[in-house]
Amino acid sequence: MRPCLLLTLLLTAITQLAGCAAYRNYDLELEQTTEQLKQGNVAGSLALIEAHNPDEQKDLLYYFEKGAVLSAGGELPQSQAAWRSAEQMVVERQDTIETTGDKLLTAMGNHWGSIINDKLRRYDGYDYEKVMLTTQMALNQLAVNDFDGARADIKKTHEREALIARQRELEYERVEEVAKQQGVRVHYKDLQGYPVVMLDAPAVIALKNGYQSAFSHYLAGFTYEALGEKNLAAPGYRHAIELRPDLPFFQQALRDLDSPGLKGDESDVLIIVQSGLAPARSSLRVPYPVKLADGQVIVANISFPVMVPDTSTRSFSQIGIDGRQKKLIPVNSITDMSLRTLRDDMPGIIQRTTYRAFLAADVQATDNRRDPSKASYVTHWDGFEQADTRTWRTLPNLTQVLRLRLKKGEHTLTLPHLNSAAPLKIRIDQNRQVITLRALGDRVFANGSAFGPGKTVAERVVNNLTR
Amino acid sequence: MFARFSCIAVIALLATGCANTSPTLGSKNISYGDTKAVETVTNEFGSTDLQMIAESMTRSLAQSGILQGRPVVQVYDVKNKTSEYIDTREITTSIKTQLMKTGVARFASDNNAMQSQVDQLKLQNQSGLYKKSTVAKTGNMVAAKYRIEGSISSIVKRSSDYKDVFYKFSLQLIDVESGLAEWMDEKEIRKTTER
Repeated sequence: MRPCLLLTLLLTAITQLAGCAAYRNYDLELEQTTEQLKQGNVAGSLALIEAHNPDEQKDLLYYFEKGAVLSAGGELPQSQAAWRSAEQMVVERQDTIETTGDKLLTAMGNHWGSIINDKLRRYDGYDYEKVMLTTQMALNQLAVNDFDGARADIKKTHEREALIARQRELEYERVEEVAKQQGVRVHYKDLQGYPVVMLDAPAVIALKNGYQSAFSHYLAGFTYEALGEKNLAAPGYRHAIELRPDLPFFQQALRDLDSPGLKGDESDVLIIVQSGLAPARSSLRVPYPVKLADGQVIVANISFPVMVPDTSTRSFSQIGIDGRQKKLIPVNSITDMSLRTLRDDMPGIIQRTTYRAFLAADVQATDNRRDPSKASYVTHWDGFEQADTRTWRTLPNLTQVLRLRLKKGEHTLTLPHLNSAAPLKIRIDQNRQVITLRALGDRVFANGSAFGPGKTVAERVVNNLTR
Repeated sequence: MFARFSCIAVIALLATGCANTSPTLGSKNISYGDTKAVETVTNEFGSTDLQMIAESMTRSLAQSGILQGRPVVQVYDVKNKTSEYIDTREITTSIKTQLMKTGVARFASDNNAMQSQVDQLKLQNQSGLYKKSTVAKTGNMVAAKYRIEGSISSIVKRSSDYKDVFYKFSLQLIDVESGLAEWMDEKEIRKTTER
């Protein structure tokens, strides 16, 4: 079947089926959307996002995904507009002094979420998504040398991060306290068949938390330094070092902050290569034995979220500059951040999910007592029992950087996984410049002032087939 | 059992409108406050700290007797040695403003304003756009007799019950010709939060 016909049929089916959050299969929706993006079809990807979100009132994820697709497609002002809407929603939710009505509705939504499934809870975005939102917005602006514009988003990033830190500190303590009071002592390690290894990976445990990004702080440092604000650049680099003490790259930035300035024809260039996609969230059914007051043990099949890392983009660790290979430094992994977030959120998820397990087991026990001949000690799985699979999927997974001094003028870039493609030409004409590249599948999206003005989306996407 | 859950689901959806609990615009309580009021929202560096430091440093410098005959002073960046994003330029701007208001010193363009100053002089002298009699001549900028520089550092300690932040702000006035520090002062601030 021709791809365009397939896409049309898909769009029609989606429009018919798009409905309530409880049924929404976000994982599937975004699989289709990102597939189009991997093929370099930005318009197709955007059409699917619109088709999956037919309501007039759009949710946070809609703006997250739309902004990311537009950014990859080089439509930077439109991408900023979409992300600005997302940011406004985040700020409103963060600043809203809830009225009694709001509180009631939120509580009802979250309460039913506890009874039916987590998809009914309002999607407020994960903390790392909120931090990365303004980081990505800053990158959009840095790509067009708008350091002042980027500064505003950088400032929002670290201010929001501080706010999240205060909220989370209290929230995790509260969840722990409630769990103790309710006697819920289940740990994710006790869940039969749950991929514990992923949550306990060294890279996940090494993170201080799930929302602080060393890269975001480093970018703050670079932006403030470029604007001549060393007093703000220093804490940016210092935070990055605190979060990733294993990376000498960050330490070097702090050391170089007070070193002599650039020579007249030199530019301090930061190359940022973002690749892949944020991991998917999938729903995994786990048998959970519930011991009831009458002594019956009934196994409830309950669902927990698991992260599914994206494997669409081959990893690479080098970039060619004017024919010379330079090592890229990996500074951020959304997979690790999301796994860490899930790890930290697990007590709360377990609390809500086991509540549902007790309810289901209790209903089954009542049925068993009513008709012992049809007694079952395993609850029937109902269609609603699914983990929340919503998450910002088009967010780039891995961020790798390289900082170097280049002479102003024309240069060439090559990525190893695009060895058959023509080198990308860049123009360095600023004292400090940020070059952003987005690698997805076998394609690279090259956007920003350095790649030259007035190019179409197709001209900005490079793939292995381009010769 | 499926029927029961379906019933619950239908009621839930009707009650929560598919969990569409977005906040309403325009329902927030917004008010203006006293800019001098003591701010203790969090124990991070805040407006009260900025005002306390600026006032303390200005008073100390103005009363030191060093600034005789309205000398020209150049303000350098205050080094931020903390892990907090503290815009120390706002502190030095406040100090500068208060000293200017009291009329004890004049200020030369600082490092950040120098480029704009040079650009303006070049524009006036090289563009041919301005009437010659009104053009600012080059070579007449007044050099600073003193420079001001300083730093802010912090010590943060946490326990399960407390968070303690100690800030130390140091400022000094250096004679450019002799290199001697003619005045120096520091302001210490301790903020403790019970969790």
